[in-house]
Amino acid sequence: MSGSTQAALQAVIEHPLFLIGVTLAAYQTGLALYERSRLAIFHPIIVSVPIILVVLWALGFDYPTYYEAVLPLTILLGPTTVALAVPLYLNLRRIRQFLKPVVVTLVLGGLFATLSTFLIGWLMGAEPMILMTMAPKSLTTPIAMLVAEEIGGVVALAAVFVMITAVLGALLGPWLLRLFHITHPAAWGIAMGIVAHAVGTSRAMEEGEEAGAFAALGMSMMGLGSAVLLPLGVTLWTLWF
Amino acid sequence: MLLRGLTWLIVFQLLGTGLNVLVLPFVPGPIIGMLLLLMCLIVRGGVSDSLDKAASGLLRYLPLLLVPPAAGVMLYGEELAAGWAAILVTMLLSFVLTLPFCGWLMQRLIRSQQRAGDDQ
Repeated sequence: MSGSTQAALQAVIEHPLFLIGVTLAAYQTGLALYERSRLAIFHPIIVSVPIILVVLWALGFDYPTYYEAVLPLTILLGPTTVALAVPLYLNLRRIRQFLKPVVVTLVLGGLFATLSTFLIGWLMGAEPMILMTMAPKSLTTPIAMLVAEEIGGVVALAAVFVMITAVLGALLGPWLLRLFHITHPAAWGIAMGIVAHAVGTSRAMEEGEEAGAFAALGMSMMGLGSAVLLPLGVTLWTLWF
Repeated sequence: MLLRGLTWLIVFQLLGTGLNVLVLPFVPGPIIGMLLLLMCLIVRGGVSDSLDKAASGLLRYLPLLLVPPAAGVMLYGEELAAGWAAILVTMLLSFVLTLPFCGWLMQRLIRSQQRAGDDQ
């Protein structure tokens, strides 16, 4: 390769927009694959992360350099998390129809989801860091990341665990609910929303309008409740013992 | 119009960050911001056009914004390699137990509410 081509390549790779470009391209590859296949396993995040990791590895970038370069994107994550209040508010109106069933299911189901993860993970001998990262696996990703970080887990792994939950929800969810004769659309939807967050919700929307609305409600309230109660619970637990 | 909504979202995020340091160290700043915005919406009884535009605009790209933090998984290869069996079993078991439990509970409660409604 001639010296000038080398210099040009170097200039492209070192341009401040290069890694943002890589991220956008990888994401759109994932999005195209997902829209064509409609398979949860091809979720844009699941497809784009490996592509980005390969590019970073091939060009010799480390993660802190990458993170710094794409800060113009990730800086928006905070306001976007705040923006979740808008769909949450719209979903909240749905509660009135089945107030008591929804509240009881959210409280008991949410506790069950979190405590079963702690208990099974502890029995399986998972490290405390892994346990704290798995605990918010049923939450929507931005909330799961914040909660994991707050209670001593790891942001990046939280995203991976949320994605694994999403794939489980899409692959096994409808089959499990049929197996247990759960046919009421509100029950079908809220279970998918509480346990399998956004992917469960989009799957429930395919099932029908009522199932979709209750899934969105389940996801929002599970995220909201856990965001406040999980860090509080862990703080109290560590103070106690 | 969109800018006004975006400004509000940033104001609430900053309020959340301030309150996180002042009084609620265990709840993340953006979550406090989300709660405050939710309370405002409940009090106002509606979502303004500019806020709706900004919120749905940002939320459309939420998965993209999550890619860079998720790429941080490259730092934790060792932890994953050491604990993958425990992780997969925990995630699968907890999922298989929780999903039917939530559905069953909700369905039961709805049926008993409907039965109570029929009796009256």
